[in-house]
Amino acid sequence: MMAVLPHILNGLTLGLLFALIALGFTLIVGVMEVINLAHGSLFALGAYFALTVLGGDWLGATAAAEWWTSLPLASRYIAALIFGPILAAGAGLLLEMCLRPTYGKAPLYGLLLTFGAALVIEEAIRLVWGTGEQHLMLPRSIDGAVFVGGLIYSKYKFFAAAFSAAAIVAVWLFLERTPYGAIIKAGSHDSEMVRALGYDLSRLRLLVFGFGASLAGLAGVVMVPIWGLRPHVGIDVVIPAFLIIVVGGIGSFWGAVVAAIMVGLAVGLTGAYAGAWATMSMYILLILVVGFRSRGLLGRKSALEN
Amino acid sequence: MITLSDIPSRSPASRALPIGILAAALLTAPWWLPAVGLYQYLGIEIAIWIIFAMGFNLLFGYAGLHSFGHGAYLGIGAYAFGLFQQHVAISLWGGLAAAIAAAALAGAIVGAFVSHRRGIYYALLTIGFGQIFWFTSMKLHSVTGGEDGLLGIPRPPLGFFGVEADLNQNIALFYLAAAFVLVSVFILWRLANSPFGRVLQAIRQNETRARFAGYDVWRFKWAAFVISAVFAGLAGGLFSMAQQSAYPDVMSLHQSGLIVMMVLVGGGLVSFWGPVLGVLIYFIARDVLGGLTETWLLWYGLMFVVMVMIRPEGLAGMFHLAGRRVRGARANPEYAAEKV
Repeated sequence: MMAVLPHILNGLTLGLLFALIALGFTLIVGVMEVINLAHGSLFALGAYFALTVLGGDWLGATAAAEWWTSLPLASRYIAALIFGPILAAGAGLLLEMCLRPTYGKAPLYGLLLTFGAALVIEEAIRLVWGTGEQHLMLPRSIDGAVFVGGLIYSKYKFFAAAFSAAAIVAVWLFLERTPYGAIIKAGSHDSEMVRALGYDLSRLRLLVFGFGASLAGLAGVVMVPIWGLRPHVGIDVVIPAFLIIVVGGIGSFWGAVVAAIMVGLAVGLTGAYAGAWATMSMYILLILVVGFRSRGLLGRKSALEN
Repeated sequence: MITLSDIPSRSPASRALPIGILAAALLTAPWWLPAVGLYQYLGIEIAIWIIFAMGFNLLFGYAGLHSFGHGAYLGIGAYAFGLFQQHVAISLWGGLAAAIAAAALAGAIVGAFVSHRRGIYYALLTIGFGQIFWFTSMKLHSVTGGEDGLLGIPRPPLGFFGVEADLNQNIALFYLAAAFVLVSVFILWRLANSPFGRVLQAIRQNETRARFAGYDVWRFKWAAFVISAVFAGLAGGLFSMAQQSAYPDVMSLHQSGLIVMMVLVGGGLVSFWGPVLGVLIYFIARDVLGGLTETWLLWYGLMFVVMVMIRPEGLAGMFHLAGRRVRGARANPEYAAEKV
């Protein structure tokens, strides 16, 4: 039992991080009916923006950059955690504006456009930040190992899991307890009716896309110390994300969370016993679930089936 | 604006002229390719991707089924060709037959899983299967050589009814590929304009209606998938000869997306010849833009994004609209003004 425990913990951490990525994805699919293949690229952008915020080389003046890097790492890290997602949201808003001509057409066009956008963002990242692997510096309070009982475990993974869980609860509260959340949820049921009630649909879409992109960016900042930061990290991330929303049921909040934890556990446990095939377990899960229940675990009938 | 559902079904009128132009361009390519500053090997690559793209378009443009994992079948063809040369015999025709058979088998299995899906679910499942093949080819070291792939695949000599040729010459291999392009285009042209092709177009326009018209939609979708996999397998066999290697890269989501981009940019949704145009544009962009800047894919991607935004029917769609406008202007000047 003790031998399995770290792998289960790893799987749970991975699952919670996957859930954070998939939530933004599923919100965008639910409200806009766009499969955003650039979601992973927004994730990568969030992490790269965080890298730049941490480093301070964006400040131009040498004196300002020196002042910034002399601040304690913890406060710079918090700034990166805030500004990474905000800047990713900015990119998301830009993408939403590009998507406007595709609304009301076959969902294929949204898929194609965001695939092109993913390519463009990845190349832009190579251009700006270089092609090599980068590292996010972590403050000492969340770096290193921690002893729990007889178990040695990475402190950062605990932090990442707790942070993701808190963020998931916050998103749920936002959707359930605020008027904005109510409109977003209504929009994912029947956008025509939302418009008929007098809400500005294009503002709703902008809001949802910006929110989804900021969640992707946030997931990027938190996950990248575990996964590593490379220009093509976006494509590595978007595949589990879409797989999770398909398994969980497109547009379903809890479906995404449950499926993400399932996928995380599957990857964590396969990774422990048959390392090379860890990623494969996700696809097998996908084919098993979709083969028997095409709408996913908690999915309901969607316009995307046509 | 043309949308996917009201694209006119293609006219069955004779298209001898485009086939003639394509044949003439291909047969004379070794003379004019160097003259315009290109190189022989590019001709082989373009010919291979034309086969792949044309076969893919039967599924994508005609049946309206958006497979996002089609690089897998090209890759399977390439591996099958290489494995045949390494383990069975050095034989051109045996290798190509193995490539086609392997891709057809994989296509038949995957097609059986995906064919009762449609729309985004179809795309998602094909991505999933494509990733599985890509992943397997990376991890099955003992068979596929892992990330390095199969190296040193020979180009077996051609023997065809007394015609002998050494395919180690790029020109000879180009002519072989060009011959396959012409045969493939002819077969696909016949298929697309047969009752089978009509049913595929009916499925694209309205699957439910096609089902109620009495067609076994599942079987048609499956057959289209297998046929497109067959052409991908043929292209893959030629590809592993051209590269003298087979590697997992061609099976990645990136490559599978690129073939969709090529077909769409060329206008495969509205035209039989669209994919040819799309492949040419891609390779010219790669070589011309790639010569100017390292980040040519950034510019190609931006062009693609703009294209999806303003003219998702691709270049062929633009020609189509322009032609309609000209014809309309001749027949009725007011019509042309209002259709713009």
